[in-house]
Order: sequence, then structure tokens, then C-alpha cells
Amino acid sequence: MESFLSRYRNLIVLLALLVMQVIGLAVQVRKPAAAAAGVPSPGRDQEDGKSVRLIRLWAAALVTPFERAVHGSGQGLDGLWAKYVDLRHTKDENKDLQKTIDRLRLEQASLIEDARQGQRLQELLKFQQNYIYKTLAAQVIGTSGSSQSHVIYLDKGSEDGLARDMAVITSDGIVGKVRAVFPHSAQVLMINDQTSGAGVVLETTRTRGILRGDAAGHTQVINILADQRIQPGEHVLTAGGDQVFPRGLPVGVVESVARDTERSGFIDIRVKPAAELQRLDEVLVITSMQAHLSAQQQADIKDSEELMGAEAAAEAERKKAAAEMEERLPGLKDPSAPDAAKTPGAVNPDGTPVVPVPATPKPLPARHVDRFSPGAKGEDLPASGGDDTTASPDASSPAIRPKTPPVPSRANPAAPGMPTKPQTHPAKPKTPPAKPQGTGVQ
Amino acid sequence: MQAIIPDYRRDLEIRRYPSYVYVLVPLAALVLQAYLPRLLGRFAFMDLPVLVTIYFALNRRSPIHGSILGAVLGMAQDGLTQGAIGIHGIANTVCGFLAASIGIRIVVENNIIRMFLNFLFTLLAGAIVLFVTRILLGLHMQVNWLDEVLRAVGNAVIGLVLFPVLDLTQLRD
Repeated sequence: MESFLSRYRNLIVLLALLVMQVIGLAVQVRKPAAAAAGVPSPGRDQEDGKSVRLIRLWAAALVTPFERAVHGSGQGLDGLWAKYVDLRHTKDENKDLQKTIDRLRLEQASLIEDARQGQRLQELLKFQQNYIYKTLAAQVIGTSGSSQSHVIYLDKGSEDGLARDMAVITSDGIVGKVRAVFPHSAQVLMINDQTSGAGVVLETTRTRGILRGDAAGHTQVINILADQRIQPGEHVLTAGGDQVFPRGLPVGVVESVARDTERSGFIDIRVKPAAELQRLDEVLVITSMQAHLSAQQQADIKDSEELMGAEAAAEAERKKAAAEMEERLPGLKDPSAPDAAKTPGAVNPDGTPVVPVPATPKPLPARHVDRFSPGAKGEDLPASGGDDTTASPDASSPAIRPKTPPVPSRANPAAPGMPTKPQTHPAKPKTPPAKPQGTGVQ
Repeated sequence: MQAIIPDYRRDLEIRRYPSYVYVLVPLAALVLQAYLPRLLGRFAFMDLPVLVTIYFALNRRSPIHGSILGAVLGMAQDGLTQGAIGIHGIANTVCGFLAASIGIRIVVENNIIRMFLNFLFTLLAGAIVLFVTRILLGLHMQVNWLDEVLRAVGNAVIGLVLFPVLDLTQLRD
């Protein structure tokens, strides 16, 4: 027996190690299968058992401190250069940023009121919508190191408030969800992993599907019936039904549409992720989708509401005062005068239709009528005024009358020697003088 | 001719390393394997834990040592993924055992042989991972074989540089 053990010692150790690991695999596979008796939902995988979690915890505790150190030293070198050496244009940038901050604060004050109003209205309509209220910024410090496993590690953990199934996003789009949380680090399953799943909707066609990754690390939407309307370039958003991602977050853009080789009538949509999944540095973890406003935010909102209430009251006062003033002051308009413009079909006594008089002021009568006066007419200047412009020639008028005989005008060459109307006075009124403005024509 | 006799070679050429090397090198392999993909993105064609397993298995020429080191490193790799613990563990265990078994029988100082072995064992590890995932676990996992081949090539090239560096840490009589 002893000789058998010593002779096959290597093989026995190998088999023992393999059997131990196979049994471990069987236990891990059996537990999720038993736990999955309920309805599985996309994007929600089973939690690890205690022993498996312990191994993950050890592995993370072994690796992440070094990753954090490497990441921190790299950032430290970058920071040393950026913060202490490369400071050109910093003052100008600071000024610009301060202006931007001031502008954004003003915009935020108005937007927050709009958002709250919209949420109140949606609550009234019983909308089941989640809102992002609180996020936590985290640094990506490492990966799983396996091409089959698209997992990243964050430098924040349960002690920072992270929990399983929290959504991880960037300003560009979604990244993944927190899969395992350790005291000082967290494991995030990215959307391009084969085991991930997120409910998505195509923006234009409103087609819903499940987003998952493939072997090459690309993201695709599966289980979609063939639809001619789905074209590359269409935006993909989160559907909000997976209890992980809030609705409406950008996911990516449809890159290509291909027929499903395994199932006829279905298509696979490859999606280009909006977030740069291969080069993530900082991410945001959505830690709360309930309204937990800070004391400062609540105070700001209260001030804003009071301000808006005061403005509304002042506006009401102004309107009331204007109405009272309107009642007390006499109107500028003659209430007895009919408005010709508002009486279509009005006619003059001679049967011609009433033409609305343009609201131009009547020129004052000239004190000394000459050929430049309105209504002046060649030789009979004194008699050619308006009906209310009675000519009163005096001694001065011949002095300004042209002494030379009238020169035949080019405009009237066929009548030489005939008295002509001075060309310098073309604006002879052909219509009777207008009555005072606002009175209309009767 | 005596150089290819297993017992003679084993007695003469078992390489030993300081104990800290057995700790630091695998740990560094794990850390770099987890960190470098952040910098290299999709071009991180390497599997450093497999490479370290192969190196120590070939040079220690102990199948037990190679198997245990492979199992520990593989399970640590699995601990960093979201998959089941043991997938890479089984693959690395088999690779460690086979590398040590081969190291007893052939001369492993030649760089060409080292490259070839690294390429071969890295491909084998990928195949075992696929076998365990698809057959034992029954999971539907797609595999990009081009990536696997590139990873094997990457390991062969890295091993060409890494193995001589690690040779410097061995204890001399």
C-alpha cells in the first residue's frame, strides 16, 4: 500500500486537487439552480455562497491593495506634474470655470423647481419612474484579468455605502452593475460580459430587448423579432424594468443589425456602448434612487419656493393695480366713434366703399403758402391750399415765387409754353384732407 | 546521454528559489494580470498566472508542486472573476502537472522549447476552461479562438523575456 502511494503520489495529488475543485464547482452550480426557483429577471444573477464569497474576498483582499497602490502612484505622478509643474493658463481656466459655476448655479436653481414640479405631476399620474438622487464617484483600480470575464474593480466598498445590484454609470452611459461588495472594494459586472443582462429599449421603434455581451466583448441586443425599421444609428436606452438601471439612461448606438443564425425570424443587434468600456477611469455608482435631499438642498428649495411665492404675489398685486387704474382713468379712445376697420361693408354716402384712413398725422397748415406747400399748384398758388388752408398772401410771398418763366419739364415735353406743375412739389394731395386720427370716416 | 535520464537530471538540476520568490512572483502575476488590461484594453493578450505556473513547474520538476501552485493561482484568478471558483483552477492544475512532467524528461533551457511549451500550455489552459464551462457546468459560453491563439503567442513572447529574469532569482549552491 505504501509503495502504491509513493509510486503514484503525483497522480493521486493531481486527482485529489481535480476532484476537490470539481466538487466545488458542482456545489456552486447546484446552489444557484436551487435558488432560481423563482422567476429570474434579466440582469440579476444569483448571489455567491458563503465559501465562494470567502474565496472572492481573499482574492480581492490579496490583489486590490496592490492595484490601489499602483493606481495611486500613477495618479500621484500625474498629479505631481499637473498640479505643481504644468500650471500654464490655470488662472484663466479658473476664471472661466468660476463664471461657468455661477451660470450653472442659476440654471440649476430654475431646473430643480421644474424637475420637482414634473415629479409631482408624475406622482399624480402614478408613473413608476425612478430618479437618480445620489451617486458616488469611484475609481476603477483593476479588472478580472480574464478575457472571458468582463469585470472591473472599484476602490469603494461597503464601508462607502455600496451595495449589490447598484447601477454603475458614466456621464456617457451605463457601465454595469455592482455584483459583489467587499469592505474597501467592489466588483462590477460590465454590460459587455456574457453573463450580464440589462433591459433596454430602442429609442425610435420602442422595441424592447435584453442587452448582453459576447465572446469578443461586444454588446448586443438579443431576442428581437426581425424589424425593418431598426437601422444602424438608432439610440438605445435603458428600459428601467430590471430594477437595476433607471429608465432612459443612454446605453449606446445600434452599430449593425444581423440575422440570428440560430433562430429564424430573429435578429441580433450589435450596439456600440456609449461609455468607453475599455478605458474606464472614473465611474458613478447610483447609491440612491429615492428622494434623500441634504439639509442644504432642502433649505435651497425652501428659499426658492418662498421666492417664487413672493414673485407670484407681487405679480398678482401688479395686475390688480392695473385693473383698478384702467377703471378709474378715462379711455383715450372715443367710445362713441365707430371703428371703420371693424365694420366691414361700410360705405360712404356716395356709395363708394369706405377706405380706412392710414394713421398718419395731418400736416399743419402753412402760414405762408408757396409752391413747396402741400396743395400748392403753379400760378394759382394762393387759391390752391387745402380746404382748411386758406391762403393769405402777404408781401413776402412774391419774393420766394420763381421769377423766371416755368421751364418745360422733361416729364411733360409735349406742352411747351404751358404752365406746368413744379416738379419739386410732387406731393399734392388728391384726396380730401384727412380728418383727425381715430375718428374714422362716416 | 545521461542528461536525459530522468532520475539523474532530477537529482542534479532541481532548481530552488528563496521562499519569498514563491510568494511575490505569483502575487505579482495576479496583480499585473488584473491591472494591465486597464492600460492595454483589448490588447492584453497574456495569461501571467499560467506562465508563472509553467515556469515553476518546469524548473522545480515536481508535478505535485506544479499542481498545487496551479490550483492556488487558478482559484485566485477565479476569485477575481464573476464565474465559478475552480474553472481556471482545474486548467492551471493540469498545466502545472503536465509542465512538471515534461520538465523531467526534456531539456527546458532552450528558448525555442520554452516558447513552444508556453504556447502549447496556454492553448491547453484555454481549452480546459472551455471544457469545464461548457461540459461540466453546462453554460453557454462563446469563445473567440483568435483571441486564445493571440494570448498563447503573447505568453510565448513574454516567457522569452520573463524566464531568464526569473532564472536570476534561483538559489545557487
